[in-house]
Amino acid sequence: MFVHRSMTAKVITIGKQASLLEAKELMRDNNIRHLPVVDEEQKLIGVITDRDIRGAMPLENVRLPDFCKKMEVVTQLKVGDIMTPDPITIGPHDTIEDALLMFEQKKVGAFPVVDGQGHLKGIISVRDILRAFTNVLGIGQPGTLLCILMEEKVGQLKKIVDAITEEGISFGSVLVARYWDENKRAVFPYLLTNNVMRIKQKLKALGFELLDPMEWYIDQLPSHEPKG
Amino acid sequence: MKRTGYLYDLRFLLHDTGPYHPECSERLQAIHRGIEAGGLLPLVKVIGAVKAEIRRIEAVHDPSYIRRFEELCLCGHRTFDFPDNQMCQETYEVALLAAGGVIEAVRQVMAGEIDNAFCAIRPPGHHAEVNQAMGFCYFNNIAIAARYLQDEWKLARIGIIDFDVHHGNGTQHIFEQDPTVLYYSCHEHPTFAFPGTGRSFEKGVGPGVGTTRNWPILPGQGDDEYRKLIETDLWPTFDAFKPEVVLVSCGFDAHEEDDMSDIRLTTGGYSYVMQQVVAIAEKYAGGRLVSVLEGGYCLARLPELARNHVQILLGEEIPG
Ligand SMILES: [Zn+2]
Repeated sequence: MFVHRSMTAKVITIGKQASLLEAKELMRDNNIRHLPVVDEEQKLIGVITDRDIRGAMPLENVRLPDFCKKMEVVTQLKVGDIMTPDPITIGPHDTIEDALLMFEQKKVGAFPVVDGQGHLKGIISVRDILRAFTNVLGIGQPGTLLCILMEEKVGQLKKIVDAITEEGISFGSVLVARYWDENKRAVFPYLLTNNVMRIKQKLKALGFELLDPMEWYIDQLPSHEPKG
Repeated sequence: MKRTGYLYDLRFLLHDTGPYHPECSERLQAIHRGIEAGGLLPLVKVIGAVKAEIRRIEAVHDPSYIRRFEELCLCGHRTFDFPDNQMCQETYEVALLAAGGVIEAVRQVMAGEIDNAFCAIRPPGHHAEVNQAMGFCYFNNIAIAARYLQDEWKLARIGIIDFDVHHGNGTQHIFEQDPTVLYYSCHEHPTFAFPGTGRSFEKGVGPGVGTTRNWPILPGQGDDEYRKLIETDLWPTFDAFKPEVVLVSCGFDAHEEDDMSDIRLTTGGYSYVMQQVVAIAEKYAGGRLVSVLEGGYCLARLPELARNHVQILLGEEIPG
């Protein structure tokens, strides 16, 4: 669950003296949108994005002489002139949950990963986080999702896990979530099997309620809570 | 009345999945009992299984996969690739018989000896990948039949309709780049059901974009949803594709009483679905249709579902 396990370590970088056109080509050739800017010691000094470059380019619908004049200025520009200095970074031992929350708050598409000495170690993008969470959910592997309602008391989850384990079924993941009834929890084990018939019957026999997944909308949860 | 073939062979019962496995030989016996009790046996042409030639299997699966299956089976291994796939020493031979039986049914339809056929086989096939057994499936029977139709009968447009409640990941992946095979699947939404593929954005790859089509069905839905998808999506898709033959991955596990899924198709709903599928074959493929059993685990309902299925193939009225 650490950033260094999910980041792209072979990161493509650029120096601050490089031209905008160089940066643009580097992004295009590697199909990336963020370039960390580093000094000679591989220390991070900024970030330049495809949006920064587009913003610096003259609009194409201006009159030709103006366009040419602006283009002349642009060709003189260096990466260091338009990069974001001191960008928001993340550490290799921060967790992917940290990264998830930072992405949500900071509204950027990627964070350079920097160690305690300021050296660039990699880059982590929204896409890397999505891949990590797809793995965590286990949904890349064939399986079946069960939706179980349990009472919020000690030992209930263990009963479920034990019943599933006794059937010799492997877990892809288990999510536990709130339910409208405050004394209950919804449990969503993702089981790596097609064979869910017996475990469903067994859980019912143990007194668990199998939820109709359609009655469980995460997005609707607040509207069911008492208003206050 | 149509000349309908019915593939059934006692050797299919030899594939032993051990105690408590839903994909058990009782399923097939229940299906056969329903067809027999419905008085349909004298009306159909019973087809016996024949072992598939290995080259037919190799048209879909890697030779190394086939060898691995055979060796594990003969060495007495009880599972293959996943614990789901329980097997016994006969499983490999039975799987060859199932695939070969389907090829024979297809051959008879193409040769005009029969009009259509229902293949009551096991093990099922639609989850089997080129290199991997999955979801109780070892050889992808329907894919093997489709390749046989391409290789031997030079068909240029083969339509596959998969109404098993689970997505036929194997069949989709085998043909996702092939524009000459239309794979159409409706199944319980992959967020809830095995195997987790078959989302609506999966539409084929490269030259095959457009000839893979998935309609995921949310838990709790039933007859109305099937009617909607058939009218608004299945028909237009097949109207555009115009198949020369229709192959059906026939799973009875979408039935409301089948515990393997959360879909609530009724017995009457199943008849409606099959009548529409037959009508599609009638309109574009001269009635040529071969239905191949996949899942379906409710032993109490399988007899009536199978009986109705065969009656529809025969062109008989189904009592509502
Ligand atoms: Zn199924």
